[in-house]
Amino acid sequence: MYRLSFFSFIVFLFLGCAPAKLPLTVSYQAYRVNAQVATDTGLQHMLSPYAATVNSTMNKVIGFANTTLTKKMPENTLGNFMTDCFQKMGAEKFGKKVHIAFMNQGGIRADINKGNITIGNIYELMPFDNILVLQDLKGDILEQLIQHNAAEGGWPISSGSSYTIKDKKAIDILVDGKPLDKAAIYTVASSDYIANGGSNAIMLKAIPQQNIGYLLRDALLEYIQQITSSGKPIEAKQEKRVIKADE
Amino acid sequence: MNRRNFIQQTTIATGGMLISGVAGAAIPEQYPLTILHTNDVHSRLEPFPMDGGRNQGLGGVAARASLIQSIRAQTEQVLLLDAGDIFQGTPYFNLYKGEPEIKAMSRMGYDAVTMGNHDFDAGLENFANQLVHARFPVIIANYDFTGTPMETKYQPYTIIQKGKKKIGILGVGIELEGLVPENLYGKTAYKDPIRVANETAAILKKNNCDLIICLSHLGDKYDDNKVSDEVLAKETEFVDLIIGGHTHRFFEQPRKYKNKIGGDVMVNQVGWGGIQLGRLDYIFSGNNRKKSMEANTVVTVKKTSE
Repeated sequence: MYRLSFFSFIVFLFLGCAPAKLPLTVSYQAYRVNAQVATDTGLQHMLSPYAATVNSTMNKVIGFANTTLTKKMPENTLGNFMTDCFQKMGAEKFGKKVHIAFMNQGGIRADINKGNITIGNIYELMPFDNILVLQDLKGDILEQLIQHNAAEGGWPISSGSSYTIKDKKAIDILVDGKPLDKAAIYTVASSDYIANGGSNAIMLKAIPQQNIGYLLRDALLEYIQQITSSGKPIEAKQEKRVIKADE
Repeated sequence: MNRRNFIQQTTIATGGMLISGVAGAAIPEQYPLTILHTNDVHSRLEPFPMDGGRNQGLGGVAARASLIQSIRAQTEQVLLLDAGDIFQGTPYFNLYKGEPEIKAMSRMGYDAVTMGNHDFDAGLENFANQLVHARFPVIIANYDFTGTPMETKYQPYTIIQKGKKKIGILGVGIELEGLVPENLYGKTAYKDPIRVANETAAILKKNNCDLIICLSHLGDKYDDNKVSDEVLAKETEFVDLIIGGHTHRFFEQPRKYKNKIGGDVMVNQVGWGGIQLGRLDYIFSGNNRKKSMEANTVVTVKKTSE
C-alpha cells in the first residue's frame, strides 16, 4: 500500500542464562511515506497558515534549467555551477578579481531539477544563511586547502582551476589557468562557514575575511536572475576540474 | 494493509512456532512493543515538491501523522523516536526557525528526540525557545549545555514505561568542532560519546530497563576511525538498539553487531527528509527481560516487493 520497500526479518535472541532458551523476536519494516498515504487533516490545518506564507514567497519562478544539476564526487555539475556563481558574484560585489571559488560538498543540500527554478528551490539548495567571503591566501595555504579537499574526495571549484586526485593527494594543481605558485597571493571566494574552519578547513581559520554580509543564497538568486534576463537557461558541465588519477 | 496484517501474523506465528520448538518449553506470555522512528527530517513539513526530482511527492508531516495513527490503531505499545536534524533544509526553517517542525512532532506524539548538528543552525537560544512547543524531551548525554540557553531544556536519558516493559532511552550527538560554527554552539561541551553512552546505559540497566535504546546523531560509519554508530555498537555493553542519523543512509535492514561483551546490538537509520518511517516490532517473552552476554542472534530476512 504505502511502501515500496517492505521487508521483515526475525531476530532470535537466545537467552543463555534461562533454563530453556527463549527467543525475543524483532521484525522490521520501512514504510515509504508517499501520496497514497491519507493525509491527517489536523496536521494539515496546523501547517496551513505557515504554508500560505512559505508558498506565496517561494513559488516564484526565476529561471529554467534545461538539464538536472546534481552533486557527486569528485566533480559535479551543481558544484561547478555554484562555484562559478561565487567567483563571478564575489568579483562583482567586492570589485576585484577572484582567482578561485570553493564550496564544501556537505553544503550542497538539494539538486536543481530540469525545468523551472523557483526561489524555494534555491532555499533548498542553500538553506544556510552563510555569507560569501573573500580571503587573500598565500599559495602554500591555498595548497593546504586543496589538499584537504582532495583528501575528502574533492570539493567543487570554479572554472579555470583543476587538479587530479592521486592516493588522496592533489597533483597537477592549476589555479586560474596556471600552475599553483606557493609564493603568490590568491583571492579566494568561499563561505564564512568554510573560512571559519568549517568542514575542517582549519588552515583558513586565522586568515582575515572580507565580508560585506552578502549571503551565498542571494548570490545564487542574483546569478540565476542575471542568466535568465540574458535569455539563457541554467546549465553546467563536467569539465574535468577535479578528476581521479585512474580515470 | 492486508499484506501487512498477513506478514505480521506470519512473523508472530513463526516466532510462536519456534518458541514451542525450543526444548518443549511452555509458551510464555508475550509483550509486543512497536518502535517507530525517523531521522534527519530537515524541516520537510510538506512533501518534496513535484518538480521531477527523485523524491517528488514523498514525505510530509500530514501523511506521516496519518500513517502513525493507523499503526497506533493496530498496536497498543508504540514508541515514536527521532535521531536529530529536525531543523534546516526547507524555506519553512528560514522563515519560522523551527516552530512548525516542533509543533508537528508534538501533535504526532513523539516520545523522545535527540539533537543533530543542524538543530544548532538558528542558534542554541532559538532551539531552546522553540522547545516551548515540544511535548517530548530532548535526550542527549554527551553534550554539556551548562551556561547555555539549553541548560534546563535537555536530559541525558529518559525511562518510558510501555505496558509491563520499561524502555530506557539515551542520546548521543556528533562532535561539534569543525562541523558547527563556534558562534552557534557557544559554550556547549562535547564529551566522548562512547564513554558517556556506556555510563548512561549502565544507569538504565541498574534501573531494570527491559530494552535500552540509544538515539544517535553520530552517523552510521566512516572510512576513517571517526566515532560512528558502528564503533559505538561494538564498544557498548548494555545498548540493545541504536537509532541513528546524520549520514542520511537508507538501510536495507537494521545492521547487527556484537558488543563489547559479545551481546547483540542493532543499528538502524531511515535516510532523511521523512521519506521513510522505520518500524521495529519487538516481542518480549514474559519472564526474561534481557538477553545475556552469550546471546546468539539468528537473523532471517524476508523481502516482499510491492
